Amino acid sequence: MRGCGSGTRALRLPLLLLSLAAMCLSEDALSGPTTTTQSTSQQTQNILNNTPTEHNVSTPGQAITTQGVHQETRESFSENTSGGHDRSTDGPRYTTQQTNLTWMAYNISIPGFSSPLIEKNITLDSPANIELSCTVASVSTHAVAIEKTWKKDTKTIESNVTSNETKNVWSTQYKLQIREKKDMGSYMCVMKGEQEVQAVFHLKVPKIKGKEKPIVSYEGDSVVMVCESGNYIPITWIWYTINGSHQVPINDSLMPEKYIIDKTPANKTHLKIMKLTGQDGGLYVCQAVFKLGENNGEVNLKVLNYMVPLKPFFAIAAEVIVLVALIFLYEIYSKKKEMLAEGEKEFEQIEQLKSEESNGVENSSTRHRKV
Amino acid sequence: MPSPANTGLASTPPDGGWGWAVLFGAFVSIGFSYAFPKAIAIFFKEIQAFFGTSYSEIAWVSSIMLATTYGGGPISSILVNRFGSRPVVIFGGLLCGIGMVSASFCTSIMQLYICVGLISGFGLALNLQPSVIIIGKYFLKRRPLANGLAMAGSPVMLCTLAPLNQFLFDNFGWRGSFLILGAILLNCCVAGALFRPIGPATGPIQKEANKEGKETAKEEEEDKDCCAKFNQYLDCSLFKHRGFLIYLVGNVLMFLGFFAPIVFLAPYAKHIGIDEYSAAFLLSILAIVDMFARPATGLIANSKWVRPKIQYFFSFSIAFNGACHLLCPLASDYTGLIIYSVFFGLAFGMVCAMLFETLMDLVGATRFTSAVGLVTIAECCTILLGPPIGGTLIDTFGDYKYMFIKCGAVMVLAGTFLFIMNYYNYRMLAKEEKAMATKDPEHGRTVNEGSNDWDREKIQDGQELEPLTDEQGLKKEINGLSEA
Repeated sequence: MRGCGSGTRALRLPLLLLSLAAMCLSEDALSGPTTTTQSTSQQTQNILNNTPTEHNVSTPGQAITTQGVHQETRESFSENTSGGHDRSTDGPRYTTQQTNLTWMAYNISIPGFSSPLIEKNITLDSPANIELSCTVASVSTHAVAIEKTWKKDTKTIESNVTSNETKNVWSTQYKLQIREKKDMGSYMCVMKGEQEVQAVFHLKVPKIKGKEKPIVSYEGDSVVMVCESGNYIPITWIWYTINGSHQVPINDSLMPEKYIIDKTPANKTHLKIMKLTGQDGGLYVCQAVFKLGENNGEVNLKVLNYMVPLKPFFAIAAEVIVLVALIFLYEIYSKKKEMLAEGEKEFEQIEQLKSEESNGVENSSTRHRKV
Repeated sequence: MPSPANTGLASTPPDGGWGWAVLFGAFVSIGFSYAFPKAIAIFFKEIQAFFGTSYSEIAWVSSIMLATTYGGGPISSILVNRFGSRPVVIFGGLLCGIGMVSASFCTSIMQLYICVGLISGFGLALNLQPSVIIIGKYFLKRRPLANGLAMAGSPVMLCTLAPLNQFLFDNFGWRGSFLILGAILLNCCVAGALFRPIGPATGPIQKEANKEGKETAKEEEEDKDCCAKFNQYLDCSLFKHRGFLIYLVGNVLMFLGFFAPIVFLAPYAKHIGIDEYSAAFLLSILAIVDMFARPATGLIANSKWVRPKIQYFFSFSIAFNGACHLLCPLASDYTGLIIYSVFFGLAFGMVCAMLFETLMDLVGATRFTSAVGLVTIAECCTILLGPPIGGTLIDTFGDYKYMFIKCGAVMVLAGTFLFIMNYYNYRMLAKEEKAMATKDPEHGRTVNEGSNDWDREKIQDGQELEPLTDEQGLKKEINGLSEA
């Protein structure tokens, strides 16, 4: 983050000169720079510290935002829509902390004024700096006073009104530092002029993949259940078994011959259950604990008796035996028929020969007699 | 020494009647042999998690099964030569069933290799060869059609087994599924029961003749050395047969690029951004087109224009297959891949339908028993090498197109080779036919083949003088005894 620091210093000097120049040029301007700086700082504070009037912002939030300013200097501040003032002047007043987090920008582009509510899901597993922005795509040419509001879970966290300007002002940004579970949730941007547009960002912890279909295993066998967290790495995994309506965590050190929990690789967890019994069936919950919250995956286990698959097995084996027997019986039957038919044919042939012979003998005997 | 396989030609192939029942049995048997190793892949993910192994270690189960099915070919041929098709297929079916049932009680991946890979694989080998052999005994005029219909068993069984396996897995887990699949494989025994032995008429006179023949044979057997005895069961003189050698070289080359595109079609589709279900659907399209292409090819190959030159049709279908693969890299979206799948299914079916028919056409039904065993063990190596070579190409270049180009080039080369060599073979056969006709006009008519259309078939068998003289010898014995 060296560039960050040097950037701050680089911007500090010309701005200082500018304010000095402004002071020199006009008397009116004497108060100007100071007020501008003050208003800037206030603006900055407004933006960053959430509405000063509503002190519902948690103190850690405030403390953190001070760090945020320092990092802001890396970004271009020309698009500051709220007040049109640079916020970079307040560099030296804040201490440097946690400069190693990059800013991630998420934008929702609203196509039109009458489009349905657009929602965007942002998955975070570890602390991050987020910049959210909403922009209406269609450019309105006439300048209007727009009330821009940011809400977190229905509570307004920031609200300001833009002054008349010619450029497209239907866009707003909000910078967030996500450090804890409390910082997650739904952030909504509302822009109200003649018409109102809204968009929502949902900040969530990563989804855990368990198994949709139940795993089938057998009594006395062992089973392995897997949960995955994808590209995100949780701090730890906890397995629960559902007993009635509440979750009972599984402790593999207490019962090592029954449960083995394997946590490598880090984005997968294996629960191996040995010597299954009928009671081991049911729902198992794998919980991935992230710094920013927890999420659960579910695995359903069904434990069957060995007799269950044996029934279809014997049914099919019986069918095979019956068919084979039928085929052999049919073959024997058709062979017998063939042999009978052959036998009959031979019998007929022999009969024919005999009759011919006897005819022949008679003829010869008659011939003899005639002679 | 007359062995049962040789006397198969003494009787007329019925080309119908009980032959259709035999065809159905062959359909089931061949279907299980080809489709089972592929369909079993549905269980792999769960078994992999259960034993804690990597995917490649699990994939070895399928590879070992396929290798054993093809490598067990010669043993299968020897057994068929000795005992006939029926006992071998029934024993094979029992072996498959035992293998899968014991696999359901396995506790390690090594036991799985042995039970599923070796035992069931060998059982499938004992199913595949005899089924193909017995078609040649029951069909002659309609043999290409019969071959096409029987080979259609593979895609039909695959389409049936894949969802069935999924259903079994969802309801019974992998152990219960293996148990039930063991019972389903026992149906191969039913198919085997249908393989009624066909040979010379089995009357009491003939049985006596066989007995007498066997007695004289036993006396002579002791005089022969083991090489000649081995030759009796597995005809190694085939290696001097020109047609057989052409077929062997061409097919071994072809199989190098035959199976890899199927293996990598779904991963390629996912690679270019298509979702998992649509990628799986491509394979279903392939299987459905294949299902209809095989009998259709059999029908075409049976027609009087194609059958005399069936080797050219075979080489054309191989080259067509290769051309499909070469054009595949041009398909960059889902529609292109669907078109590719359709043409690939068509080409794949054409080649498979004629795979064994062309071998039968070249060596004749008598020597086919030994020929098929020798060919399958030679193909075994290239079949196993094909997908890993393709995988290495993909990993090295990071692009699937080189794998497709390699497969396409190999197959076009094989097709061209077969085309040229078979042209040469046909010419040589025509020359020999003329020489035979002038030498001994009676020779061609001694073999009772029934139909006179397939002179080439008879003349080809006529070149193999050994079996014919044995047949004539047996016939003389029978006639002599009956007169007595």
